[in-house]
Amino acid sequence: MLEAVHLTKRYASLPAVQDLSFSLRPGQVLGCLGPNGSGKSTTVKMLTGLLQPTRGVVQFDGHNIQHDLMAYRKCLGYVPEEPHLYPYLTGWEYLELIGTLRGMPRPDLEKKIDSLLELFSLHPNRHASIGCYSKGMRQRILLIAAIMDDPEIFIFDEPLSGLDVTSALIFKNLVQALGRQGKLVFYCSHVLEVVEKVCSDVLILRKGVVIAQDSVTNIGRILGQSLENTFLHLVDDVDTMSVARDIVSVMQMKAA
Amino acid sequence: MITQAADVIFRVWDDHRRRPFWRMVQLFVARIFRGAGDSDADGLDLGIGLVLTLLALPGAFVSLFLMDKYGSLLQWLRGITHVDTLAIVLPDEYFFIVLSMTVTGAVAVWRWDAIFPDRRDYMNLVPLPISTRNIFFANLIAVLFLVILIAFDVNAASCVLFPTVVAASQSEFIFFVKFAVVHAAGVLLGSVFAFLAVFLTLGILMAVLPPRALQRVSAYVRGLVVVYLVGLLCTAFAVPDLLRQAGGHVPSWTALMPSTWFLGLCQSLRGRADPVLTALSARVIPGIVAVAVVALCAYAVGYRRHFVRIAEITDTTVIDHTPALLPRKWRFGVLLDRLALHTAFQKGGFRFICKTMLRSEAHRLALTGVGGLALVLASQALLDAVEGTRSRRAAALSPDALSIPFILSFLVIVGLRIVFEVPVDLRSNWIFQLMLDSDGQECERLAQRVILILVLPGLVAITLPVYAYLEGWLVAGLHTLLVATWAVLLTNIVLIRFRKLPFTCTLPLFKQHSFVTMLSFVFGFLLYARSTPEFESSALLEPVRMLSLIPVAAVAWYVPHFLAKNTIDLEKKLIFEESPTPTIEALRLSD
Repeated sequence: MLEAVHLTKRYASLPAVQDLSFSLRPGQVLGCLGPNGSGKSTTVKMLTGLLQPTRGVVQFDGHNIQHDLMAYRKCLGYVPEEPHLYPYLTGWEYLELIGTLRGMPRPDLEKKIDSLLELFSLHPNRHASIGCYSKGMRQRILLIAAIMDDPEIFIFDEPLSGLDVTSALIFKNLVQALGRQGKLVFYCSHVLEVVEKVCSDVLILRKGVVIAQDSVTNIGRILGQSLENTFLHLVDDVDTMSVARDIVSVMQMKAA
Repeated sequence: MITQAADVIFRVWDDHRRRPFWRMVQLFVARIFRGAGDSDADGLDLGIGLVLTLLALPGAFVSLFLMDKYGSLLQWLRGITHVDTLAIVLPDEYFFIVLSMTVTGAVAVWRWDAIFPDRRDYMNLVPLPISTRNIFFANLIAVLFLVILIAFDVNAASCVLFPTVVAASQSEFIFFVKFAVVHAAGVLLGSVFAFLAVFLTLGILMAVLPPRALQRVSAYVRGLVVVYLVGLLCTAFAVPDLLRQAGGHVPSWTALMPSTWFLGLCQSLRGRADPVLTALSARVIPGIVAVAVVALCAYAVGYRRHFVRIAEITDTTVIDHTPALLPRKWRFGVLLDRLALHTAFQKGGFRFICKTMLRSEAHRLALTGVGGLALVLASQALLDAVEGTRSRRAAALSPDALSIPFILSFLVIVGLRIVFEVPVDLRSNWIFQLMLDSDGQECERLAQRVILILVLPGLVAITLPVYAYLEGWLVAGLHTLLVATWAVLLTNIVLIRFRKLPFTCTLPLFKQHSFVTMLSFVFGFLLYARSTPEFESSALLEPVRMLSLIPVAAVAWYVPHFLAKNTIDLEKKLIFEESPTPTIEALRLSD
């Protein structure tokens, strides 16, 4: 089980995340929602061990992950928000690099890379350099890199960004399948419909604080509306219609 | 037997190569060569092989040019029969040491951002089960490997060719071997020292400065290093003479010129060092050890301060809300809009070009290099003007002093013209492709205005008051007018058939006429910055003679206009991609 216990992160004196606690059980797919600046990325970085919390701990199976980061990262598959890849490596070389650095045995690694590239429709482009890949292709490479070592925990930060419809559908089904396999999945996204569809539970953040945490069905049932409306109700106290009207009027504004 | 041994070695190497740590070392080596940074911008990616070849070329060329000096037959034909080869080799040896240090230092400055692991490495490697200590050591080994590789590559040709050229007139093979070993020691150690010194500078900056300040300061420091290297290269011909004239005392300026230490080492190893060179050679080993140790410590501290904390750094963005100092109508940009930039394209394009040059590392570095070269040549001209001249007035009217604004303007104008060709993140040029009228021929005018706005005010602001003070308003006015006119004409000439928005087009392909272009620049420089001041120097004594320059100016003005008029419409279209010229062109008579 992965647990966040009273996590707090401050940059200088500015709090990014405050007293965040939740747990992620095997088989659970936990969605994390929140507007820009709500602390989602900071939370993800603390869960991956990239950032040390100012206060609180992240525990995996009852142990503080900071005590043995290497062992924890061996169990972790992570898809970051931005696809920072080495553009001069080919897709195959990048995956081979990641597999080698993860300590995967050689024959398995090459077989797995080829099969996964085939399944993600990247096999024909495997020897092209990543610099020539589209955003969606890069995203698929990141997804393969995260799953190929069969880790226990998955942390996805906006994983669908740039994916075409088919790949996105495959990925949504994959997330559900991972949940059924007993894996722990933490899924950060702006796309509410996807979270609603693939996640069993949801965590809503606002200004670094958890404002709602429950199963997707419960949250909708309590407020009697869809996740999108619930999200707007809880997070944004803005009248979106009136903001849209204001934008149009500014567009049409002419200098006097 | 040999095949079996080779197989075993290959298997062991292959096994090692695939271990995580060594795989990471390979990654870092490739990253340092192929570029770093957070964006995948289309930079100047030449590939490892081509880079190594280009680095080896200067040493090879210089060695070949020296055949004339050391060839025994040529010496005999000139009547030189008894030559002390080891004595005449000193200035050339020093030049090779400087060349090796300059090229290696320039490589280190060029790869400045790639020497240390960056955010991309952080995002790819840190979430994996690898300790940050291993990343540190893997990068360190990659850097050390590159130091050695570059040192050997830069000096390989000169280590073989230069001793061959020098020993050509000697009968003993052992002379060649001894000379080659000593020469190799001097240039290789010089290379290693130069790389480590740049590495040390970067490491100290990282260890001392906070991340935001580092970004700003490192750009200026890189510029200073480039200026220093250009200075080192330009003074290479004068330093051996200065050392000979030192008179037994080690000059204090040698502390700032480590190249002299390595010359001392070579001469000491050959047993030909005077007391000054012997004293200088004693600085080599302590110097290299000190630079290496401090560089390593600074690298460790910098790594801890910057790389390990990248996640925190990238999450804290501070927005600068500093209010403007001047009211809007008095700001420089607004004044320019009123006075010089008339169309929307010129206004927008001017801001785009200036901001790109100020903010793009590659462009800033190239311009700093050109600026450094201009300053070094101008200082040399100033020294030559002052040296041996009795009065200030005579010095000011000497061709050397008059050439200073010509040298500066020529190099800056040509430098800007070359820099305009270097693209910046070509993926972003879609906005210009979408919005600009490809038939519009404003690019040439825009580039012309940018160059003149950046060059002319500075030239006038320096030349006019200095000459007004030294020589009176008439001479000052004439000299300034000539410099300004020549700058305008040169700008028109370098922009002939310029039909791109600076920085938005792919790099021009190397064509056969590129050599001709390079030769034209050299010839142009001599004509512009040497012949004109020489004529001006004599003409200023009798100002009416200045009128004879009017026909020259008229021709220089007319040629670009004539060529522009006679260019077909297709060749006036705005381009975003340099296409190769086909070997066979169809006549398309049916079109």
